Amino acid sequence: MLLRASGQNENASYNINSITDSQLESGVKHAQHLRALTEAAISSDWLKLAEIRPQIESAIGRQQTVDTLVVASAFNGITRVADATGIPLDDNVALATVSLRNETGIQRFEYAEKSDRYG
Amino acid sequence: MYPDHLPLSTQLNQAHAQAWQTISAPGDFFTGAQRLEMVRISRQAIGCKLCEARQSAISPNAISGEHDGHSSLDNTIVEMIHRIRTDPGRLTKSWFDHTTQTISKQAYVEIVSVVTSAVIIDTLHNSLGQGVPNLPLSIRGRVGKNFNQDAVEAGAWVPLLAAGADTTDTDHLPEVPNIIRALGLVPSAVALFFGTFRPHYTLKDIQLSISQSQAEFIAARVSAMNECFY
Repeated sequence: MLLRASGQNENASYNINSITDSQLESGVKHAQHLRALTEAAISSDWLKLAEIRPQIESAIGRQQTVDTLVVASAFNGITRVADATGIPLDDNVALATVSLRNETGIQRFEYAEKSDRYG
Repeated sequence: MYPDHLPLSTQLNQAHAQAWQTISAPGDFFTGAQRLEMVRISRQAIGCKLCEARQSAISPNAISGEHDGHSSLDNTIVEMIHRIRTDPGRLTKSWFDHTTQTISKQAYVEIVSVVTSAVIIDTLHNSLGQGVPNLPLSIRGRVGKNFNQDAVEAGAWVPLLAAGADTTDTDHLPEVPNIIRALGLVPSAVALFFGTFRPHYTLKDIQLSISQSQAEFIAARVSAMNECFY
């Protein structure tokens, strides 16, 4: 939802489905580099990250490479806060994102659905 | 905490140093030594054979056994830390209920805060090729035993910080989103986690070299990888 809102603020349109489908073009600048850095960091694949970091620094610059990892590391923590406390979506977000959650497959992460799957 | 050649803000550097200091000191339900042990266990969870087997299973509950390594912490806490570190997307209410039969919800919230703050710091260090930072020495002292008695049941597993339903004028986002309220049962847990998190990201006008939409793309990708519904 926040990606969609950013697009509106920037007069741009982003493909939300690209979040869960890497084959789709997102429309976000340097998305393939951001995705590669993020996925290596969150997977704790430090060897891969050491390999791709210099290449991506050459493509998008050192500061943007570091800042991508700054954001990714923050969300590696805060998603765990959400998952460990079972917080519900904020009411207006829940109402505004029904179709988006179903389109992207995010609905399957809903906590009651997880309890049904995993016990 | 970081070498000078890395282009990180002073604010972030200071926040992480402060978080490390705070973790090493007594909290409200655990001593400094216990809190540092939580960080050590969190690191040990990466590569734990039981956790790897569970991650490959259809349900983590299908595999039983013992986690790698030894700890002075109670087994329930060790299990909790391993699950939060290695398989957060498959935590469930029944797992939470089972966990909080042994430890109080207040203690649970403090553990979440310590472990997730350390995850942020360790992830950034590792991502930048620095290896994880050394743990400081623990600071002796008594636990505070303070918690928020006005926390409310609001549909989460834990009581949340009480907040109104006001929304921001521009984005229709709540003034106090549930993620801010999540650790509200223990104010020191809120302070530790968001003190660590805040220099990394803001909901608008992000003060980094990447745009807000790039930051949201990264955030959304992490959420999907960690199967985070929120």
